[in-house]
This record gives sequence, C-alpha cells and structure tokens, in this order.
Amino acid sequence: MDSLVGFVGKNYVLMAGDTNAGRSIMRLKDDFDKLVQIDSHKILAKSGEIGDGNQFCNLIIRNVSLYRIRNETELTTKSVAHYTRRQLATAIRKNPYSVNLLLGGYDKKDQKGSLYYLDYLGSSKKINYGAHGYAALFVGSILDRFWKEDLDFEDGLELMKKCLREVEKRLIIGTRCFLIKMINSDGISVVEKVMINSEKKNEIEEEN
Amino acid sequence: MFTLGSVLDNELKSSVEDFSFETEFSTNQLMLPNIEKPFEFAQSIISLEKDLDENDNQPMFHQQKKEERKERALIKGSKGTTTLAFIYEKGTVVAVDSRATSGQYIASQSVQKVVPVNQYMLGTLAGGAADCQFFLGHLGRICNLYELRNNEKISVAAASKLLNNILYSYRNYGLSVGSMICGYDTRGPQLYYIDSDGSRLKNSLFSVGSGSPFAYGVLDAGYRWDLSKEDAIDLGRRAICAATFKDSYSGGTVKVYHIDENGWVKISDDDASELWYRYEEKEKKNK
Repeated sequence: MDSLVGFVGKNYVLMAGDTNAGRSIMRLKDDFDKLVQIDSHKILAKSGEIGDGNQFCNLIIRNVSLYRIRNETELTTKSVAHYTRRQLATAIRKNPYSVNLLLGGYDKKDQKGSLYYLDYLGSSKKINYGAHGYAALFVGSILDRFWKEDLDFEDGLELMKKCLREVEKRLIIGTRCFLIKMINSDGISVVEKVMINSEKKNEIEEEN
Repeated sequence: MFTLGSVLDNELKSSVEDFSFETEFSTNQLMLPNIEKPFEFAQSIISLEKDLDENDNQPMFHQQKKEERKERALIKGSKGTTTLAFIYEKGTVVAVDSRATSGQYIASQSVQKVVPVNQYMLGTLAGGAADCQFFLGHLGRICNLYELRNNEKISVAAASKLLNNILYSYRNYGLSVGSMICGYDTRGPQLYYIDSDGSRLKNSLFSVGSGSPFAYGVLDAGYRWDLSKEDAIDLGRRAICAATFKDSYSGGTVKVYHIDENGWVKISDDDASELWYRYEEKEKKNK
C-alpha cells in the first residue's frame, strides 16, 4: 500500500512518498518515484493503481503543458487542483481512476506554497498537512501535534523524518525507503532518498 | 461490429490515406457481443483465480454471486507459469518454462512462452495465452509498421508504451496479460513489465507468474550488473529450474534467450526435471 505525506512550510512545500511498486505480496520495483513533476513548481504525488496513476498523471501533465503553450502563462496550483478534481469527478461514474493524489505547488505570485488533497471520488481540499494510504493513520496525529505555521526547512525536514520513522515502525508492510522532495521558489529538488531503519535507533538506546 | 479481420484492414487503409499518429496506433476495436452491456457480460463469463480463492467472510449476496460465476465460468485466467528476464552489462537474458495447466491437469509441456516482437525485442507470455499471443503479435505488427514509416528502429520504451496504452483501454474487460518486453536498443539493454491492469514498470530484473517468488530468490541472490555472458545465462537457467522444482504449475522445458546489439538468440532448451538433477550432480562433483 502506498504512503504519501506532505506539508507546507515557510516558502516551501515538503512531500514524501515511499518507493515501492508491487503486485499483491511482491515488491516488483524498489526505486519507484511517486512524486511526479507537473511543471517547474508543482508536484503530483500519486497513490493507488500503477496503471491508472501513470495514465492520469500523464493526462494532467500534458494538459497543463498545452495550457502553457496556448496561453503563454503558467497555471496556479489552485487552478491545477480544480482541473484535476474535475477530471477525477467526471470519470468516477464512467471509467473511474483509482488514484489518490497530493498536489503540492509553489506560486511565485503569492510567494507561498500550497498543498491540495485529492481523492479518487473527486474530492479536493486545500490543506496545510496531509497524507494518503496507511501512512495517514499514523502520521495524522503527529502532524496535528507538531506542525506549526512557517516551519523552517531544517525543522520541516526533521518533522518529515519523524513521520516516516513512525510509518516504518508501525506499518507491518515493509516500507523502509522513502523519497523526499521539496518545492520552493527555485523549483523542485530532491531532498533525500532516505532509508529508515527504526530498529537500529532502539538498539543504541538500550546500549546507553 | 468489427471483426478481427476488418480491424487489420482498417489499419492498413488508414495508414495509406492518413499519416496522423492517432489513427496509426488507435486500434481499439475488439469483437464484443452485440448485446446491451458487453462489459458486464465479459465479466460474468470470465473468472480469475483470485476471485475464486477469496475468503468466505463476504456477505451472503456476494457469496451467491461468486457461486453463480463459478458455475458459469467458461474462461479461467491464471498466471500458472514462470518467466523471468534481467538486463546486465552485456545485454538482456530471458528465461521461461513451457508448461500450460488447465485446473489440475497439465495441458501441454511445450508451450512457446516467448514471442518475438522483432529482431531485437522479445515479449514473454504469462496469464491468458490467447491474450498474450494476440497482443504481442499485434505489437510486432505495429513495430514493423513504425520501422517502415519512420525508417528507424522503434525503441523498447516506445514499444512497451504502445502495448501499455492498448491494454489500459481494455483494463476492465477481463484480459489477463503479464508480459515483459525485453530488448536492446540505442540506450542499451532495456526491460519493461506490462500488465493487463495497465501498469508499466521499468527495472533491471523481473519475474512473472506463479513460480516467480521462487525464481526471484535465486535471481536476487546471484544478480550483478557486471556478470559475464556465461554466468548471466546460467543464472537465468538456474532460477527457472528452481521455480519449476518448487512450483507445480511450472515445468516442461527451460528455454533461455539472450539479446544484445546483434539481436536475440535462443541459447538453450533443456528439460526442467533433467536439468535439476544435472545441476545436483555438478554440485556433487565440485565438492
């Protein structure tokens, strides 16, 4: 099951996803990037079926590019979220895409990052922090407790690692490896491909 | 309703009159029964093994529906096979077994589970034999047309994407395809896994089928990028052999292919049971 986590900080958006792609009990690929780049300052994090995710994200990327080519201007994160939601909603009763998404973006005009939570049923909500998949159960409370407005990048990264550590610790399905990406005024950058091993931490504590 | 014959005629006609990319590759017509809800009909006569083996904790009406479907199940799809492929420094190795089962009986020990797409690309077969054979054969036709029109060899990425798009458009129709597109092109050795659910994954090694966990065990233990050609071929052969030993739905003969810049070549074709004991003797001699 896919895990996606994201939250907004001071002039950046931090997003993380696990890097597993599998089929039933088997892991087919352990370096699968679920944080797809839509344009220079937006990421669509996808979870759910692999085929639906690929095709739907391709649809959004191409249409956003087409808009940019036709109108010589980039869409805001809010517009992309609304467009994406509409695509999901019109498809739900005909040919549903079983993908859950987190859309994160940085708007140069507002000088702010924003995060949207999108569902396969066609729901959409602007959020400060959120998660998809089993991670949402574990990480929701951590973010409720520790997220603050305008977190620095270092604090934000520490908070993200705290969340991912909890997912690795409690989720019985092994998801050790996560990819963390950040969006800020300079664009999208891969922060870290982190391999969490919470067991090691406990050993050190016991020794001390 | 279009028949299979007229699909191909349409394709050729459209290629002469119209050079647009869409008509070239949008061959989305399959023969479906001329009834009100063809999708529901297709679902009702096809039962996949995973549906039949679900736990019994379902509400009563679900249970009844499952029983009805079991009775009417004319086509049973299951991926009773072992196929594997991996890329390494010098090329791509593809290894398959050759057993086909229907229920508890072995239907055939000599099934051709590797379908050549063109001279430097192979497709493997897992799931429904008819589905795989048709779509891989069709992929071969499309790739040939691409080469003729564009005067360049199609890349493995493009070929796998074409197949992926076709299968995605049929994703709820009960097709069962678990194929790997393996080849060698300008980017080097390439390997893609294509599924009837619509997934397409790129990686350096894959194994598909009921015997795949067993094959993965041997494969993961021995795989390195800088294997020699001999070692790579031996690794593929041993992995399938191990899978046929453990999995009852895999067996027959072990076929190994190698793809490099000169195209694909069939390396060997050994009986699976003999192979196991041959390896055992080899180990004894080494000790």
